[in-house]
Amino acid sequence: MGITRKYWKGIEELKQTPEFIKHKEQEFPNQQTIEEFLSDDKLAETSTARRDFLKFLGFSVAAATLAACEAPVTKAVPYVVKPENVTPGMPTWYASTYYDGYSYASILVKTREGRPIFIKGNKEYGFTKGGVNPQVIASVLGLYDSERLSGPLANKKSTSWSNVDKEITSAIKSAKKVTLLSNTLISPSLNRVISEMATALNGESGSKFEHIQYDAVSYSAIREANLKSFGASIIPGYDFSKAKTVVSIDADFLNSWLLPTEFAVQYGLTRNPDSKWMSKHFQFESILSVSGSNADYRGMVKPSELAGVLSYLIKGLGGSTSVSATIPASAKLAADEAIKSLKKSGKESLIVCGSNNVGLQILTNKLNNLLNAYGTTLDLTNTIELFKGDDHQVQKFVKDVVSGKGPEVLLMLGVNPVYSLPNGDAFGKALSNIKTTVSFASHEDETASLVKYICPDHHALEGWNDYKPKANHFAIAQPTIRPLHNTASALESLLVWNGKAQRGGKDSAVAYDYMAATFATQVPGADFAFTTHNSCTELATTSTALVYKDASVSNLPKSNDKEVVLYQKAGIGIGLQANNPWLQELPDPISKVTWDNYITMNPVTMENDGYATTYDQEHGLNLATVTVNGKSVTLPVYPLPGQAIGTIGIALGYGRGANGEKIGKAAFQTKEYGGYETENGKPKAIGANVYGFVSTVNGNIEYYNSAKIEKASGEYSIAATQIHHTVMGRHSIVRETTLGIYTSKDKEAYNPAHKLEKLNKEGEHEKRPMKEFDLWDAHPVEKIGHRWGMTVDLSSCIGCGSCLIACQSENNVPVVGKDEVRRGREMHWLRIDRYFSSDEEAAVGTRKDKETFSYDKAEDAAENPKVVHMPMMCHHCNHAPCETVCPVAATTHSNEGLNQMAYNRCIGTRYCANNCPYKVRRFNWFNYPSYKKFTEINPAQDDLGRMVLNPDVTVRTRGVMEKCSFCVQRIQATKLSAKKEARVVGDGEFATACSDSCPTNAIIVGDWNDVNSIIRKSSDDNRAYQALEEVGVKPNVWYKVKVRNEENSLLNKLQVVEEVAENKKAGH
Amino acid sequence: MQKEAVIREPLILGHKTYHDITEDVCRPIEDKAPKMWYILFGIALIIGLYGVGSICYLLGTGIGVWGLNKTIGWAWDITNFVWWVGIGHAGTLISAVLLLFRQKWRMAINRSAEAMTIFAVFMAGLFPLIHMGRLWVGYWVLPIPNQFGSLWVNFNSPLLWDVFAISTYLSVSLVFWYIGLIPDFATIRDRAKKPLSKKMYSILAFGWSGRAKHWNRFELVSLVLAGLATPLVFSVHSIVSFDFATSVIPGWHTTIFPPYFVAGAVFSGFAMVQTLLLIMRKAMGLEAYIHTKHVEYMNIVIMVTGSIVGTAYITELFISWYSGVEYEAYAFINRATGPYWWAYWSMMTCNVISPQLMWFKPLRRSLLFTFFISIVVNIGMWFERYVIIVTSIHRDYLPAAWSMHYPSHIDIAVYVGTIGLFFVFFLLFARFFPVLALNEVKTILKGSGQSYKESPDYHEHH
Repeated sequence: MGITRKYWKGIEELKQTPEFIKHKEQEFPNQQTIEEFLSDDKLAETSTARRDFLKFLGFSVAAATLAACEAPVTKAVPYVVKPENVTPGMPTWYASTYYDGYSYASILVKTREGRPIFIKGNKEYGFTKGGVNPQVIASVLGLYDSERLSGPLANKKSTSWSNVDKEITSAIKSAKKVTLLSNTLISPSLNRVISEMATALNGESGSKFEHIQYDAVSYSAIREANLKSFGASIIPGYDFSKAKTVVSIDADFLNSWLLPTEFAVQYGLTRNPDSKWMSKHFQFESILSVSGSNADYRGMVKPSELAGVLSYLIKGLGGSTSVSATIPASAKLAADEAIKSLKKSGKESLIVCGSNNVGLQILTNKLNNLLNAYGTTLDLTNTIELFKGDDHQVQKFVKDVVSGKGPEVLLMLGVNPVYSLPNGDAFGKALSNIKTTVSFASHEDETASLVKYICPDHHALEGWNDYKPKANHFAIAQPTIRPLHNTASALESLLVWNGKAQRGGKDSAVAYDYMAATFATQVPGADFAFTTHNSCTELATTSTALVYKDASVSNLPKSNDKEVVLYQKAGIGIGLQANNPWLQELPDPISKVTWDNYITMNPVTMENDGYATTYDQEHGLNLATVTVNGKSVTLPVYPLPGQAIGTIGIALGYGRGANGEKIGKAAFQTKEYGGYETENGKPKAIGANVYGFVSTVNGNIEYYNSAKIEKASGEYSIAATQIHHTVMGRHSIVRETTLGIYTSKDKEAYNPAHKLEKLNKEGEHEKRPMKEFDLWDAHPVEKIGHRWGMTVDLSSCIGCGSCLIACQSENNVPVVGKDEVRRGREMHWLRIDRYFSSDEEAAVGTRKDKETFSYDKAEDAAENPKVVHMPMMCHHCNHAPCETVCPVAATTHSNEGLNQMAYNRCIGTRYCANNCPYKVRRFNWFNYPSYKKFTEINPAQDDLGRMVLNPDVTVRTRGVMEKCSFCVQRIQATKLSAKKEARVVGDGEFATACSDSCPTNAIIVGDWNDVNSIIRKSSDDNRAYQALEEVGVKPNVWYKVKVRNEENSLLNKLQVVEEVAENKKAGH
Repeated sequence: MQKEAVIREPLILGHKTYHDITEDVCRPIEDKAPKMWYILFGIALIIGLYGVGSICYLLGTGIGVWGLNKTIGWAWDITNFVWWVGIGHAGTLISAVLLLFRQKWRMAINRSAEAMTIFAVFMAGLFPLIHMGRLWVGYWVLPIPNQFGSLWVNFNSPLLWDVFAISTYLSVSLVFWYIGLIPDFATIRDRAKKPLSKKMYSILAFGWSGRAKHWNRFELVSLVLAGLATPLVFSVHSIVSFDFATSVIPGWHTTIFPPYFVAGAVFSGFAMVQTLLLIMRKAMGLEAYIHTKHVEYMNIVIMVTGSIVGTAYITELFISWYSGVEYEAYAFINRATGPYWWAYWSMMTCNVISPQLMWFKPLRRSLLFTFFISIVVNIGMWFERYVIIVTSIHRDYLPAAWSMHYPSHIDIAVYVGTIGLFFVFFLLFARFFPVLALNEVKTILKGSGQSYKESPDYHEHH
């Protein structure tokens, strides 16, 4: 019984008008073609008058002009054939290994559309367990350095590989003496080809070929000392994770000493006050190092007093030594406590010594042996295979070259002796006496610019490599991109020159095949592809029983009026990546200075000698001339509290490219309006090279020396990211306690909640926690969906700076250069605030005495201050003060608790930045990707450098605000992959770049609404507090109270449960 | 006609007739400009153009050409903004509030005070515009229908309230000023001899014919506009103060700000009026209309508002201690003893001590002394805003982010440039506009004119 409804298109259809019937069949009106229109005779009669014509003309011009205003269209060309493992928009991760002769780490490389863009530590494979340092993370930028050599050079002229090969091969053949000078080669394949070369050239007993390993910073003394103590020239394995007491004698093991990537991770494990035990760390040093800043007790000593400290410890533990146990007052307390602690922990102790003085190392061995630490914290079997350079051998070789008795062919691999030798200049001049000089350098650096042939090696991310950093460890580095330039692996070059292979061109398999063969012999039975996938595998070690015997101690560092200490900074290290703008702009973990090296001196001494001890944008520091070994440099004098009186410190690694060598665009000083500062027509180097300041003691290179320092005229601008150094006793920012208090007292004692007075029902005043006060309606982020949160453990943060560089790499943070940093405009989304304690504080952030507290005195750091490193990023406040003040709602709150920035909407009033209590917002003062001031330093201004940008993150334009986003692009990616697999996001599945790269796991992120998540538990912990809680902004970031494993009688008195105090008051 | 007691000082000195008033006001417009005018105009124009050039450089290069940094997001820009807005307070106060309170002495000064207001608000309005990182999308602060997914402005933001407050204030002031100008333009039109100026002034006069109906409407509109403008006098600076008061920054987050800012604004506005009028009365021969009594009245306003400001400063200090809030206390300790102590003590000296000197009658009747103090007050008021803005944020919560502010030469050029531009406008005004509300002044000639007060008739009609 269907009713057929009838619909009409209109009244015409209903009425069936004649027009309707006529046009019914024609759905569209009859179109007239242009030809028809133009050929219409009546066209001339139409009324398009002159005025109409002008109107049309005007309109079209205006329309065309407006249309031209649009942004230029950049074409994205899709793949015609999709490569395997490459899905546009999806990252591909490769497990690999990083080694540059200085840093070593097992890494994961993120590639997007075939471009490596991010490096992080590999937490699952390799003994570094995810540990990286800023230099490893930043090395990805070096791949896209536009001044990297793009092919072989002969006599500075570009040439072909076949020419180079022909000439070098014949030179090697005809030479009487061939020397290969390399950094410590830990590659089994390279070592194999070198031994093959030696066999081929030397025959049975010849000495035509020689391989000398040379480390820019030498560890020769450890090997020599062990040769004397154990009869083996080894560097033992160290295990900080087993050490209940760590005594470091001038070893910055968290930053530069030996294997900081491994040691920082191990150390981090022992710094958790919630685990069974927490290590006690003693540091005796001259400069305030990163390790020293984390020590529980720190003694300030001059290099010449280190032996006294060691002897004092030995005697304190019942040992005997001929060295006198004199110890300065500034180290007495720390040494006495160390003896107590060492006695308690016995063999679970570890003494490390950073000096390259054999005597000091022998004393260290003695102490470790006295404690029975060999076998627990020190491993004589699984030795560290890095730093094999032998000072005596290197010295002899250098002397030969300088005196004209050098080899006929000199191959230089991974070294830059002209820069890093104490007498580099003389060595450089002497290079011209050698008939054939070859370098494998990637740039025309100080040494390579003086050689005949440069045969550039691949960048570490472009080629195959294998490494044996430890006796039991075999690691593989795999390429993550096809070589960008016409470079060739050094392994291949050596094979070719030894006549064992033919050049393979860009897609050469020579190195790969040779490596696979090496692998088969070194790791029999293992699968090469599988190992490559994991990046490493274990090797069996054969343990030979080494027996300790006492060795005599001589040539200990001599005492001097002024002693200079040469150290290495977190960013620049020994200067390998001096052209890396990320690292140049990485604030030094302690001084917070960027783009420079300087003379460090204790402010107490400086005030006596009339040096300025404060600095800011317009007030520089005084210059001084330091003279050592007859060489002098003039550098600014930086006031570094904690520096031993009578010592000065200068960082190595600066002054690269002093003769204007082409080592990379960012390696030189730039001017205020762009371009380089010049000196004699050449770009001016950053800082000064102080390799010449080393002393040679009995053939060993030592990084201590006696110095003369004289105040020079003039001021020097310093670009520091922090110009105020104490926390002014502000307890709501930094909270500290001791392990004793933490384990024995209530939370109220060391981490009291901030309370405000409120009227209760009875009309009486009552102190209630901040949680109960709220001006605003709560954001609907609790209990619904995700709520991203973060905890930062101040106890485990060592201040290394890895998070900062990881953030910069992940989020395309622009580099702004020295002049802009000096003006307080660095763009880092994450910074690490460093606070020194003052004499007014019992601990950082705790006033000694509230009544007598003086703001004036609190501004000055103590002479030997305690240090707190406090990573600071956007707190994603649930009541964000920035959100309410933006007139155009460019910054808003997401329903996942994130404070979001819509760059497109921002009009740049900067009101949000002013109103941010944490001062984490960063404004684009200029157009960093195009303004002339940043041409040399910002990689985004370079066609090749731009390749490093993360395509998931917008490059911001000028005039907009930016800030930490909690790596929202990673959150989205994690959520999407979970959604695709129809599951919830798992705990720990998402990590921000900072938490991902933290070697000590100090930064934890996750979903706070997941009550079982690690982050939720961490934020509910007794140690968790919110910085500036009383402001009421309800941040999603929690800090955790810094716990020091020390005795602090003042804190004991101050940190009593507040309730008790109140009860007392009520009783009165 | 309203008459006042003889013992009150006359408001118009000398034996002026209605025609004299017309002549006195119109002469500078009709005569050739004196050489001095050209010199001053030339100087102002050069300075103004330098400022415009600097602004162009700023817009072309980025906010980085100023001396701001990651900690200090506002410094000279917003200081200048608040300073100019403050100066722009006196005009409307004089013309609206004093009109409602029937203060006849306002008639001599209201025209130029209002002109000053408008030009000052122009200068003030410039700063929020150029301080934006992306001026070209600045129109997003207006709640206009749009197609960006229909994005709306954030009504919680005090900066948005500023947009409304300033634009309302400017438009009402402008209309008020112009309405007052109409009868005077008509007078000039009627006297004009050259065809061009006749044409121009007849356009400006809106066809005013002086009929009773016109006067009636004129009075009514003036009263209505005065009623509208009066709350604006108080709202504008209250809202400007909300920029700071609603924030979380110690030293900004202060509930005392609205009344304190309004008093400060009136204080600085009157000082600027003094500076300008003391020169103008001399240069344009208006000593008979703007004389010691007017100056004294204004000095009393300066003294009263200055005392309010001083009280506010001391209240702030007290509260910072009394609140027991660590950060609040430090903000004020830092102001007085920190690196910017000199700015704080300049402010205290200029704004708290100098107006107190006005208690002495000989001083407040001394034109030279008044001129000096008027400059001092405006310097002090500039420092007040600088102290509030910069010394609060340069050391706020986290000591690691503490910083110092150093102005760049562009900061200085833009500020000085706006002073130049202001004088360009003001000199043009003085040259082409009747600087005295001549038709209004005529209404008090018989009530407060000296010659009438001295004439015997004056008492009989009483």
